Amino acid sequence: MVDVSQHELVPDHVLLDDPEEVEEVLAEYNVKKTNLPKIKRTDPAVPDAAEVGDVIKIVRESRTADQAVVYRLVIS
Amino acid sequence: MTEYDHVTDDIEAIVEDTDLPRRLKEDVYETLEAKAEEYGGVSNEQATDIVTGVENRYLETRVDPLDPVGTVSAQSIGEPGTQMTMNTFHYAGVAEIDVTQGLPRLIELVDARKTPDTPMMTVFLEDEYAENREKAHEVVWSIESTKILALGDVSTNVADMLVRIDLNEETLLERWPTHDDPSEVAGIVAETIEDALGVDTRQAGTAIEFGPDQPSYRELLQLVEQLRDVVFKGIEDVTRVVIRKEQTDEGEEFVLYTEGSAFGDVLDIEGVDASRSTCNNIHEIHRNLGIEAAREAIINETMDTLEEQGLDDVNVRHLMLVADIMTNNGEIESIGRHGISGNKDSVLARAAFEVTVNHLLDAAIHGERDDLDGVIENVIVGKPVSIGTGDVDLRMGSRVTGSKPADD
Repeated sequence: MVDVSQHELVPDHVLLDDPEEVEEVLAEYNVKKTNLPKIKRTDPAVPDAAEVGDVIKIVRESRTADQAVVYRLVIS
Repeated sequence: MTEYDHVTDDIEAIVEDTDLPRRLKEDVYETLEAKAEEYGGVSNEQATDIVTGVENRYLETRVDPLDPVGTVSAQSIGEPGTQMTMNTFHYAGVAEIDVTQGLPRLIELVDARKTPDTPMMTVFLEDEYAENREKAHEVVWSIESTKILALGDVSTNVADMLVRIDLNEETLLERWPTHDDPSEVAGIVAETIEDALGVDTRQAGTAIEFGPDQPSYRELLQLVEQLRDVVFKGIEDVTRVVIRKEQTDEGEEFVLYTEGSAFGDVLDIEGVDASRSTCNNIHEIHRNLGIEAAREAIINETMDTLEEQGLDDVNVRHLMLVADIMTNNGEIESIGRHGISGNKDSVLARAAFEVTVNHLLDAAIHGERDDLDGVIENVIVGKPVSIGTGDVDLRMGSRVTGSKPADD
């Protein structure tokens, strides 16, 4: 299988494995975990270690700012 | 900072202290540098003035709280959409490959159709495959589907109830570059026929003969029909591949454009650059590269479609919002009755969009409630919409605080 993360359309996906970090993100946006955009566990770009309920940090090369950081909740 | 001669540590501190995004900061540094060259230096006060000016302008242009970004996006894409041609029949961008464009393509994208009208792929090649035309052709033959009519002549012998294929030696060697012996390739072809049609074949050199088990004229004709659809090499969905030499920063490279797409299969083929190749089917991108790549693809495709029609003054932010909404729940959702608009919480909002009676009837049967939070519901009932100042409530405390109430 090809390495998906190498494709130029795929931004960096990083697993937030520290619960504190997740709390910080949720506090920053003042939302619940389930309010975050979602990403499927089966998504080819999701890191292998991620499980349902984890939060993935995605760093996009933005068209309007230089980098845009977004978060997605892993769902089944 | 090493790259700028005139930017002192003080100035850097002033700039870095602002809320500006990275890219704007770089712009500020460059401008300061240019001005310093021109006038022989920039003082800290001047720098502060410039920087606060830029910051104020930036903060002004940001979206305000309670701004109806969705409505603005819808109108900003909708209005240029009225200027798009309904049907375009010319060949776009790439030589000889017909691609759906204009309004039909835009509708196809926001409807998130499973397969586009004219699927196509742009396949970039790696290293020597990109430089050498013969190497590039090897990749072409493993992508483009090869059917029997491209390999030789088919004739039917009604007297002996036989189908006879005379394969063209040159074509065989060209399409199977790893083999030197045409009859060896003919063997592969014969095997493919046996597997696909379930018949026994006889092979002599580059000629192949076979017929139905029982002598039957109808079955003979059926075999010929089926034979035409058998794919001997390449990917079935790809009917045509165009090879083009293109200029890049480092020189020239060969790029393949295909009619028909099978993105997942192509990425695995040797010689294909799996980091740049794309296709115009957002679902295939989603399946193979994930939801974030699909989001990017939606933005790229909608932007290209608008640009192609000379409507490039639509701000990307609107298209980004559309793509964000479409990919919000982890898979691609269409905009419309079966997607975003159909999944709204509010009954009235759904009913206002399409198939009004069905939505109202279902809501009545299930005893649904409408909290009247959204814009559409409030327009319908004639309340102020919850946008901008319409969403600001004034609350007065009834508790006496001891201090004198203000005069006004």
